[in-house]
Amino acid sequence: MKHNRMRAHFTGILVLLFAGVGQVIFAQESHIGGLTGEGSRGKQLYRRYCVGCHGPLGDGRGENAPWIDPKPRDFVTGTFKCRSTPTGALPTDEDLYKSVTRGFVNSNMPSWLPLTKQQRADLVAYVKTFSSSFREEKPPSPLSMPSESAANQQSIQSGNELYQKMNCWSCHGKEGRGDGPSAQTLVDNRGYPIPPYDFSVGTRFKCGESNQDLYRILMTGLDGTPMPSFANGLTPAQAWDVVHYIRTLQMNVKRKKQTAENEKKDRGESKPVGAQPE
Amino acid sequence: MRTRINYLKIGVTAALVLLTAHGAGTRTLRAIGTSSEAREDTSGAATLSGIVKLEGSQPVATRINMAADPACLKMHSAPVMSEEVATGTNGALKDAIVYISDGLGNRTFDPPTEPVVFEQKGCTYNPHILGMRARQTLKVANSDPTTHNIHPAPQNNREWNLSQPPGSSPIEESFAREEIIPVKCNVHPWMKGYIAVFKHPYFAITTKDGTFDLKNVPPGKYTIEAWHEKYGVLTQKVTLETNQTRTLEFVFKR
Amino acid sequence: MLLRLRAAVIFILVLGVVLSVRQPAHAIPAFARKYDLPCSACHEAWPKLNDFGIAFRDRGYQLGNEKDSPIWQNPSYWPITFRITPEWHRESSSNQVVDTVPGNPALGQIYQDVTTHGFDFSGLDIWAAGTLYKDISFSVLPSADSSGSFHFENVFVRFDNLFRTRWLNLKLGKFELDNLVSEKRMLFLSSNGGFYQVYHYTPFREVQFRASNPPIVQFNPVFGIGDNQLGVELSGHSENSYARYSVALLSSNEGSPGLPNRTYDWWASFNQGFAVGKLGVQRVGAFAFFGQRPTFFNTSFGSPVLSEGLGNKSLYRAGLTGLFYIKKVDFSTVFVHGWDNVFLGTGTAANAPLPVGARGPTWNGGFVETHFTYSPQLVFVQRNEIVRMSRQVFRTDPRDLGDIDAFSFGLRYYPFMFSRAGLALHTEYSLVRSYKSASPLPTSTSPFGPDLRSSSVFIGLDFAF
Repeated sequence: MKHNRMRAHFTGILVLLFAGVGQVIFAQESHIGGLTGEGSRGKQLYRRYCVGCHGPLGDGRGENAPWIDPKPRDFVTGTFKCRSTPTGALPTDEDLYKSVTRGFVNSNMPSWLPLTKQQRADLVAYVKTFSSSFREEKPPSPLSMPSESAANQQSIQSGNELYQKMNCWSCHGKEGRGDGPSAQTLVDNRGYPIPPYDFSVGTRFKCGESNQDLYRILMTGLDGTPMPSFANGLTPAQAWDVVHYIRTLQMNVKRKKQTAENEKKDRGESKPVGAQPE
Repeated sequence: MRTRINYLKIGVTAALVLLTAHGAGTRTLRAIGTSSEAREDTSGAATLSGIVKLEGSQPVATRINMAADPACLKMHSAPVMSEEVATGTNGALKDAIVYISDGLGNRTFDPPTEPVVFEQKGCTYNPHILGMRARQTLKVANSDPTTHNIHPAPQNNREWNLSQPPGSSPIEESFAREEIIPVKCNVHPWMKGYIAVFKHPYFAITTKDGTFDLKNVPPGKYTIEAWHEKYGVLTQKVTLETNQTRTLEFVFKR
Repeated sequence: MLLRLRAAVIFILVLGVVLSVRQPAHAIPAFARKYDLPCSACHEAWPKLNDFGIAFRDRGYQLGNEKDSPIWQNPSYWPITFRITPEWHRESSSNQVVDTVPGNPALGQIYQDVTTHGFDFSGLDIWAAGTLYKDISFSVLPSADSSGSFHFENVFVRFDNLFRTRWLNLKLGKFELDNLVSEKRMLFLSSNGGFYQVYHYTPFREVQFRASNPPIVQFNPVFGIGDNQLGVELSGHSENSYARYSVALLSSNEGSPGLPNRTYDWWASFNQGFAVGKLGVQRVGAFAFFGQRPTFFNTSFGSPVLSEGLGNKSLYRAGLTGLFYIKKVDFSTVFVHGWDNVFLGTGTAANAPLPVGARGPTWNGGFVETHFTYSPQLVFVQRNEIVRMSRQVFRTDPRDLGDIDAFSFGLRYYPFMFSRAGLALHTEYSLVRSYKSASPLPTSTSPFGPDLRSSSVFIGLDFAF
């Protein structure tokens, strides 16, 4: 009888414990399409794949962080480069999911595409637990993206003028080589030097490789870096012009194909320009 | 066996109670955050004024080279000096922030409805140091014929970064939490300013003569800090009696 | 007769030694150091790969962030890894023929268990692998046995994304045959458990025949799926490496350098993964090998001209593979069907008469290997394996002659998991029962002995740097 009572007591405590732990673990979910990611499963995956760089506390101070450039993201601040939401806002679950899936070119963050969709959704849910922002705020709705205008000569010319007017050249350089007068002074939000993107060499951008991705980078900015949002300064039509101009700065993208595409456009056909090689 | 079931029940009930309590606690916290319980009470308020000085020889301001953007260069006939350290006569230190850092307890203060303006003019920030209240509207204006990007680098607030071409309407933003936020323009790396955000009205930015004035402070024990972008923070503790007027002197060392 | 038997005993002993030289297992801290990823990012539990590791390998050891080419590496980076395992182990074999009185064979022989144990260490892998340039990678793996004599376990150069498609990658050299369940990456190390029986199986009769052959008949026309082969491989994969294929043309010499045989083998494998909700990726696949082996050599004044194999006869292996995940538990499954031509099965030169009534042997085999990955640092492993002869060389042979039951379990504990080096405490017990495979006593009238049971107990520190 006494034994039974002891055991019952223990069960009570266990229930209490699980209730408490459960609250913490299941605090965060992610929703990507029809998928629901769960932080508890994400934690296991995070410990396996991510902890070396992003650290057990998600502050980007994993054991490998000292050797990595650019530095791993600090999830605690809730500041993320690749978003569909305005500057200063939290990213959507979808944005984080895309970042995990795509990885970041020119960095140590690989594409985690080999993981299942469910696993990536679980990781997103867990990553969100590191920052209180995700509990306190909701990400606003993504910036709207009107359909792309034709990438004709006129659009490219207008883009060129805007590239000058909006001082893009101050960092990215007159020819897009990342050698503008301010280029050497740039630091990220943790004080580490960060080079502006060299359009002439790169074939992919930080947040994707399509024209749509480039448009989104322009209009949302890359939070935590010197790259601002141009949502206040450019109309959507102007932003597409800048996108089309930037494409002409990419020396490593198959020129021939692009020219052919442009010619088609000039004749009024509207297939998106600058399809990227893999 | 009966006993066991009873204990189990107790366990479950306790867990449920705990959960409910937790939930309720969160709700209460939110309620405090959104409404304002304490109003500014000016009867019997004290005044704290004083001066901030810099000890030693007066530093020479460095010259800013704006050659990177001809549009900036053209706006100035005289050389532009860095505003990092500006002093007046007798070592008076300009652009220090003096504020209550502790002692206000749970008092909350509604932000003023009128906005504050942070202007980009002549490729510098005007004012160099802006004081404002949490949740107050901040208007960022561009009076220059060139594009700036306004990029606050907060620790406790959300970081944002907006490009602002000439002639565009002011950007409206606000900050939710208390913090002194460095602001820069990445396009023009010499542009540096600060936006000091407080959740209470008891702060002042020293003028050219180094003086500051904190009015209508409720009596109490306070920690007062003087902050300077180059020389750091000085702290003093004061006790303010009803209707008292006190003066303080902060002396930064080079 | 006695001479034949003695030869058979020797052969089995030699085979035992060959098999107990463990297959070097693949885990490359050099890559972890290059990419600053923990071992667990690529390995379920090293050396076994996970989905991310499979994709990394399929991309030619590249992450695809434009930082793979060596020009992005610190010049002092040197892509070398070594691995060795200091250990204590105990090996025991039942039904060994020993002299009744040691040193006096004339007084007769009896069956006895032979057991040995003590401290030891494994062979050494010194592995260099990496990218030579974007989309061009290499691997060189000199491997020593524990006495320090080296061979090259693998040597290859690989070109990726030919014609800008990930479906065309070319590898030339000596390499592991691409298959879903890799013997090089298994989580077993002991003499009896450290290899898959079905990957190396040769019918008992074939072994016996070959042991007694004159030297002009090819001594070792064995084919092992688990053995690295010399050849050229075309492979491809989907972006997430869920769909994968490989086709390889191989020299039919079991990866032995300097001995081209003038004939070639074919290997093909395909596997497909399916993401099944919360369970993870399930993979199924199939493979096939078709090869030819010479049955005798051209001779010069009676001595074999070793590269001049003649009288080629065929053999094939075909099978199904599967990797199934249920949360923390996963199963590696393999089924293999094998056939050797009757000339190979009886060790007969193609220009000599076959033994009366001989048939080409066929067999089926397979295993289920279970892993319980408690965490990336602790994994429990278990394997059940069987091989069953489906057609003996002679109708009169016992049906179960040469059949095998194998059983292993163990655990690997990784006291730390980071991206510079790896260490595992490895413990394992393995038991293999080979039916009627013990040598018969000289007094026996049957050509076959009783079952042979071999077991290993293994405790070691497996480390890679």
